[in-house]
Amino acid sequence: MAAIATLLWRAIRPPVAAGVDVVHGDLPRALVQWTVSPVAEMRVVLDATPDPATRDWLRALGRAGGSVRWSSSRPLGAAAVVAEPVPEPNGVTRVRFASVGGEAVSVADDAGAIDSLPRGGARALELGAVAGAVRASGTTFTATSEVRDSVVLRPVLVLGAAGWESKFTIAALEERGWRVASRVRVAPNVDVTQGPLGSIDTARYAAVIVLDSTAAPSSNEIARYARAGGGVILAGSTARSGAFAALAPGRVGARVAGVAGAVSSADPRTGLGGFPVSSPAANAVVLEARDGVAMIAARRLDAGRVMQLGYDETWRWRMGGGDESAAAHRAWWSRLVAAVAYAPLVPRGSGLTSVDEAPLASLVDAIGPSTPMEGRTSPPRDITRLDWMLFILIAASLLTEWTSRRLRGAR
Amino acid sequence: MTVNERTRSPIPDSLVPTSGEFVFATAQYESGDWDSAPLVPANLIDSVAKYTSLPVAPTGAIVALASDDLFRFPLVFLTGHLPVRFTDAEGANVRRFADRGGMLFVDDHNHDIDGAFHKTAVEELTRAVGPLSQLPNTHPIYSTFFKFSDGPPNTSHELNGWGDNLVHSHLLAAMRGNRIAVLYSNKDYSSEWGYHPDNKRFLAIDNTKFGVNVIVYALTR
Repeated sequence: MAAIATLLWRAIRPPVAAGVDVVHGDLPRALVQWTVSPVAEMRVVLDATPDPATRDWLRALGRAGGSVRWSSSRPLGAAAVVAEPVPEPNGVTRVRFASVGGEAVSVADDAGAIDSLPRGGARALELGAVAGAVRASGTTFTATSEVRDSVVLRPVLVLGAAGWESKFTIAALEERGWRVASRVRVAPNVDVTQGPLGSIDTARYAAVIVLDSTAAPSSNEIARYARAGGGVILAGSTARSGAFAALAPGRVGARVAGVAGAVSSADPRTGLGGFPVSSPAANAVVLEARDGVAMIAARRLDAGRVMQLGYDETWRWRMGGGDESAAAHRAWWSRLVAAVAYAPLVPRGSGLTSVDEAPLASLVDAIGPSTPMEGRTSPPRDITRLDWMLFILIAASLLTEWTSRRLRGAR
Repeated sequence: MTVNERTRSPIPDSLVPTSGEFVFATAQYESGDWDSAPLVPANLIDSVAKYTSLPVAPTGAIVALASDDLFRFPLVFLTGHLPVRFTDAEGANVRRFADRGGMLFVDDHNHDIDGAFHKTAVEELTRAVGPLSQLPNTHPIYSTFFKFSDGPPNTSHELNGWGDNLVHSHLLAAMRGNRIAVLYSNKDYSSEWGYHPDNKRFLAIDNTKFGVNVIVYALTR
């Protein structure tokens, strides 16, 4: 009767926080047990970072009043992966991944392997297409990411005088897939135009490229556009003109010549002349320097970005740089525009259940950092075993009672 | 100096375009008579300076088709009367030039579709950059600066019945994407524009205006 009463009590008793449990491998089973029979302190010894569901479960147990602590039986790799759209027209996806601790990382999507880092570290890739989720896997972790957003790319506005730089800048961007609007000055009050032209605002243009001082009359409008979130590239000596000087990341230095013949070398932009960015502003970031002289710099301006591009004859690279130079030139220009472009994100809206971009960081966020385990490290108290023992005791008592009655001739 | 010797001569730095300056370049090729229209460059330079605000070099340049200097001049004018046979280096350079975005403006100085220049030049250009096809008369090159609503303007040689006795209604072109890589004319603009710029004052209508369109198109599209 006592055993029956105990079983009944155990079934209907209110949750009482008590006890300490340490789990090595059978974490799912322990989670069920802790949910049914909460304990005051739950201690987990992990041999790999748990999946998001397990992690969320542990977090929920902790929020329900218990104390959840964890440690690991071996060092867990801290890794992260993220897949995000690049604001370029060709649907390029940028995948960045990193791990510390020297653990090898392999990166794959649903179509197969993409890359690996045998000794950890960090790397960024740009992929024309990604199939499903991107996973960065090591011995102790699997980080997963998926492209969550699409980018809205509006046309690029190119302003300048008629010339080879205007022509080839427009051509490079169009060939790369950008929609280009342009206003190219040919004669006083005579412009050659193409594409949608209108007021310069973020609802119309992703970026504005100003190639020379012919756009100076629009400099105040372009300044407002930049402050409102637009991206502006000031090429050559443009930053000397009108309101552009206040936008630019730096001052315009004295023109430097390119190295003769270098446009066909491995470092083709050394063959280009241009106006260095001198005296960069405090918040300017130098993106490219040559012999210690900044040639490209950028900075934030309120909600927008402004880039100062010292080169003013990049067309020479495209025409004179070799068979790959045209493709390199258009990719480079597209990258510059992408770096400043106003490109609002639109959520894709699909169920992204597999995203777990930084599993160890998420674990720490969920239940705190790892804490060393003191005391016992044995498997958790097996409540079900106690229940079984009580059941066997009751069954044995009943059998004994039944046998005794049979031996005594009783029915 | 032979053509071969001139081919090996680099373009003097004084003729290399400086920043933003347009230089009118004439193609020099091994075969034929590449220098058959020596007055055209000066005449077109004069017109560009007259009608536009483009910075333009006062003198043109001569660039060998087989030379790497070709890639310093994204618009190159090529003309002649005689058969054209590109050397391997010339053909390869013309292909690269077109692929990288250059524009070759070719004019048949004979104005004769049965003439040696036309037959051989079309063969060579087709081999180098692909087939030439008719350029629609609504193409932006006819409206990019001056308006030519009927397509390419006729020349006095066409109207006088010289050459092939035809008035050619279209120019031909080889395209790269939506851009003209080779513009080919049977209209003999080489003769039409081959006079000293000072003599424009005797014309009721300046007949070089279409040349300005070709240059403005090349510089803006």
